[in-house]
Amino acid sequence: MFINYEHENHVYNVSVERRKDQYFVTYDNTEYEVEADEIKPGHLKIKLGDRVIKCVITKGDKDKFVFVEGDVFKVRNIELTGAKKNKKKDEGNLNSPISGKVVNIKVKGGDKVKKGDVLMIIEAMKMEYLIRAPYNGKVKKVNFKEKDQIEIGQNTVEITKNKED
Amino acid sequence: MEWIILFKKVLIANRGEIAVRIIKACQEMGIKTVAVYSEADENAPHVQLADETVNLGDPTPIESYLNIPKIIKVAQDVGADAVHPGYGFLAENPDFAKSCNDKKMKFIGPSPKVISLMGDKIAAKKIMEKAGVPVIPGYHGVKQDNSSLVEEGKKIGFPLLVKAAAGGGGKGMRIVHSEDVLKDSIESAKRESKSAFGNDTVFLEKYIDKPRHIEFQILADEHGNIIHLFERECSIQRRHQKIIEETPSPVMTPELREKMGKAAIKAAEAVGYSNAGTVEFMVDGNLNFYFMEMNTRLQVEHPITEMTTGVDLAKWQLRIASGMKLTLKQKDLIQRGHAIECRIYAENPSNGFLPSIGTLTKVESPTGPNVRNDTGIYAGMKITPYYDPMLAKLIVSSENREECINKMIWALSRYVVLGVTTNVSFLKKVLSHDEFKKGNITTHFIDNHFKDWMSTKEGLPVEALIALAVYDSMHSKTQEIVRYKESDPHSPWKHVGRWRMGADS
Repeated sequence: MFINYEHENHVYNVSVERRKDQYFVTYDNTEYEVEADEIKPGHLKIKLGDRVIKCVITKGDKDKFVFVEGDVFKVRNIELTGAKKNKKKDEGNLNSPISGKVVNIKVKGGDKVKKGDVLMIIEAMKMEYLIRAPYNGKVKKVNFKEKDQIEIGQNTVEITKNKED
Repeated sequence: MEWIILFKKVLIANRGEIAVRIIKACQEMGIKTVAVYSEADENAPHVQLADETVNLGDPTPIESYLNIPKIIKVAQDVGADAVHPGYGFLAENPDFAKSCNDKKMKFIGPSPKVISLMGDKIAAKKIMEKAGVPVIPGYHGVKQDNSSLVEEGKKIGFPLLVKAAAGGGGKGMRIVHSEDVLKDSIESAKRESKSAFGNDTVFLEKYIDKPRHIEFQILADEHGNIIHLFERECSIQRRHQKIIEETPSPVMTPELREKMGKAAIKAAEAVGYSNAGTVEFMVDGNLNFYFMEMNTRLQVEHPITEMTTGVDLAKWQLRIASGMKLTLKQKDLIQRGHAIECRIYAENPSNGFLPSIGTLTKVESPTGPNVRNDTGIYAGMKITPYYDPMLAKLIVSSENREECINKMIWALSRYVVLGVTTNVSFLKKVLSHDEFKKGNITTHFIDNHFKDWMSTKEGLPVEALIALAVYDSMHSKTQEIVRYKESDPHSPWKHVGRWRMGADS
């Protein structure tokens, strides 16, 4: 699972995988293997090596607050697979979460798509990543062709959102 | 002990943590309590705790907690025999004190006359000077021509401060280091004051280098007995408001304490003071002390005195107001250990300490030996712009200053207030500062060491990122792939997230 956190205008790209109580968090080319437990709602006890990190997480209306050792950080999740908030409302903007190769394009300009439809498949490290439509709409433009190299953050497909939605 | 009849029912004309504090003191003493509240405080803890509650309506202070006729009427209607004003709001309003007493409800505090006398800062200084309490040498006279002011300035000595009588916020203020620039400084201060306040009256005062704010707690009964309960060091301030207080002061010596304590008692005697009060002094780098003002109420920082003396000041306020004699004797009072208070504010230290508003989503405070949390907040509470942004006071005590600082850092690290920006991490930074640990503090401490401080200069720490990712992973509805080649650290499986095998089918 790739997650992008925005804090004070910086974006942090993190990936996390779970295996029961073990989590593998990768950030800045370092992997952190931790054990974690939600001891009560919002309260996490995280074991990282011989350290124990205790923190509290809560969601506000828009932002999420993280409390670690008396320091509080206001953070926002940015969905790179969804519409970017700073774009015009009627414009779908789907950025690639990884660098890889476009292996399959399921749509072309003018196609109608439903929320969740697969638009493009990107391959990296012998794995495939699916770009899905964030809402019902019409494909405005496909920015890549099959076998193209795509870089992280590049816009894959532009979709115009249906007005009635 | 003398048999006294305490009040039957006390109305608390305040809100927040101090209302809670007073209600609890009354409850311990078997006194019924009445809380008043504005519409914004309907669910506030002080409302829930009190025996009776009365809605004052509109949340603007002038319509609620500052509305004298409304509060007096409510107090009469519920049959209160005393009114406790807390601090702030009407606590130092002589008209309110008089209105209470006129309606045969005891105002818990000194007499209206003393309140108004101490409210006039210049008159107060004159009385203190006469009583032999040291005041900052200065000239507050009517002669405002430049040559008279220059003569007065020379008498005071340098450095000195030229201050606009109507001043505030540093406007019309000049620090003068030598005689040759005195006249120019007076003239420019006058010009600035004239344009800022429409009044060019100026005062001259000796400029205090390395000033500390040290105050003495006093208790005086209505029979002429006065004691002091030692000092509180309150130098750590921002925007001229205290944020960290401690006792004993790191610079205090037994000799200075005795001298200042005697001066505080003398100050209270000079005005016929009764009830709990605080005499504020400015102490310079050479440990000379000067009377600044007297606060005629219970102070925000009173708990550190309670933690180190074992005396319950709020309860003594009630006893004294009901006519009881002080049974505490000066010689029996001792200071034990060290106590620190941190004020938890809804404010942003990285942005000029501007108040922040919002809804508190999570509130959890640390508990432990000698940890006291005076609070009036709860999860779900809206922090509105109507009232002071102080959310709570965290007070800890320990055997000595070093342990006390460590305990406070421990407690702040576990003080969860989420939903609005608070000063908790800033307080921790101040307590961890080397100069603070050494006790080298002045009222300029924050300006000197934390100017343009940013809470998040280093960005998000990796601990926070791990916590976020773990939390999101726990609460993700997405079906996760379970990795398998655990044994191979270089496996690409280690570096991938939400992937699916094969193409969509």
